[in-house]
Amino acid sequence: MNEAISIGTAGDIEQGEATVVPAGTNGTDQDIAVFHAEDGNFYALNDTCTHETASLADGWIEGTEVECPVHSAKFCLKSGSALCLPATLPARTHMVEVRDGELLLYPNIDAVV
Amino acid sequence: MTLASVTIVGGGMSGFTVAKELRGRGFTGALTIIDPAGVPYDRPPLSKDYLLGARSQEDIQLAGRTWFAEHHVDIVTGTVAALRSDEGTVVLEDGRRITSDKVVLATGGTARRLPIPGGDLPSVLELRTRDDADRLRSLLVPGSRLAIIGAGLIGAEVASSALPFGADVVLIDPVDPPLVPAVGPELARRLHAMHPANGVEVVTGVPTSITVDATGHKVTLESGHTITADAVLVGIGIVPETALAESAGLETDNGTLVDESQRTTHPNVYAVGDSSRVRLANGTLLRRAEHWEHAMKTGATAAAALVGDDLPEHGASWFWSDRHGVHVEGVGSMTGEGATIVREKDGEPAVVFKLDVGGYLAGCAAVDGGLAVRAARRIIDRRIRVDPKQLADPSIDLKKLAR
Repeated sequence: MNEAISIGTAGDIEQGEATVVPAGTNGTDQDIAVFHAEDGNFYALNDTCTHETASLADGWIEGTEVECPVHSAKFCLKSGSALCLPATLPARTHMVEVRDGELLLYPNIDAVV
Repeated sequence: MTLASVTIVGGGMSGFTVAKELRGRGFTGALTIIDPAGVPYDRPPLSKDYLLGARSQEDIQLAGRTWFAEHHVDIVTGTVAALRSDEGTVVLEDGRRITSDKVVLATGGTARRLPIPGGDLPSVLELRTRDDADRLRSLLVPGSRLAIIGAGLIGAEVASSALPFGADVVLIDPVDPPLVPAVGPELARRLHAMHPANGVEVVTGVPTSITVDATGHKVTLESGHTITADAVLVGIGIVPETALAESAGLETDNGTLVDESQRTTHPNVYAVGDSSRVRLANGTLLRRAEHWEHAMKTGATAAAALVGDDLPEHGASWFWSDRHGVHVEGVGSMTGEGATIVREKDGEPAVVFKLDVGGYLAGCAAVDGGLAVRAARRIIDRRIRVDPKQLADPSIDLKKLAR
């Protein structure tokens, strides 16, 4: 099992915002976006939109969905499912946990939906 | 009667959306997409990444072959020559026939030709298909001279994409600046000025003829000015492809006429995307839209109607364009009466808001301001009344105004 990576504290990412944990520093070769959703929970997806190169962390976060800032593809933050075209492929999820206020990312461990 | 089979004529964004939405809505019947190019592909990259060679044919497919196999969507490579609406039968050029309960026409459009002498020369290029993009790319070599007539979205995008090839580009449009109806005068001016700043020669004028000989093409303008070029591309909009609908006796008027569920004047036939045009129950004809997202929306509407679901609600229209390294987006309408509010960044207009006479937001356009446009879209769709002073203040987070 992959080691958890500490990516700061839960207070570091405002609700409705996201941050990118860059490839290489997160144990994978993909940038990972960590979202603080409007339901108060944290979710992580591969940052690159599955439709075309764009950063989902720069997208519009509403509820538990993110809308890509370039072509408005939408993804479910919980499952990574592509909710509308132009994306047809899901975004890879990663498990995130808050432990004693610390934000832990488990790269390549699927989030539990 | 339960719907058992649907045939979609055309594999662009609207046709593909019908198939994807039908499966998403639980339709388990036979589903066929017929297109001369086979697997549906996305057209916006044709003037950008695909033209540049940064994305391959496979990269621009709307879904891979696996998706079609997994979702039991048959792809038929071919051209439909006839439609028999009563039987739900389409006849392909090669004689094959496919019969289904319902037929969806997603036939798109063809590039509008210039109605001037030489406008119909076979060597005059257009950009609608992958083959068109391949042909254009083959002509873009260092030192080649490309004249583009029409500086709208396609023309501007191709002008920008041609530069890395080392081509000399001349961009001709009768209007200076173009795109005012889409993005408002402030951003239109800024965007048009990016062409000469990046090495594109901009000419304002009306072409009156195109000739070609062994030395190349010559575009003559009303002013008498001539432009010589190795290649000429015309990007002045499209003509909806309604020949199949017309031959089948469906009503058309600058588009195949459909009701609000995208159904044509024959109950077995629906039409979506660029080729369709809505006529309301009271007889009002809506303006035909040609944007990529409109193709998606109309496809989704038709799919919902076909399976008897409530029709999805669609918000303000939205489009995007990429040129000279910037991303342009617009939502709603920038053309009505009412106040204009400009947010600047680094001394240049970056986001423009258009209010209607009642003070509600009607439209927004932005350069590299995707989140502003997304916020604006929600403000428009939800009829949120916003303070113009807050719209104008760059320190105010638009996201908060959209809540």
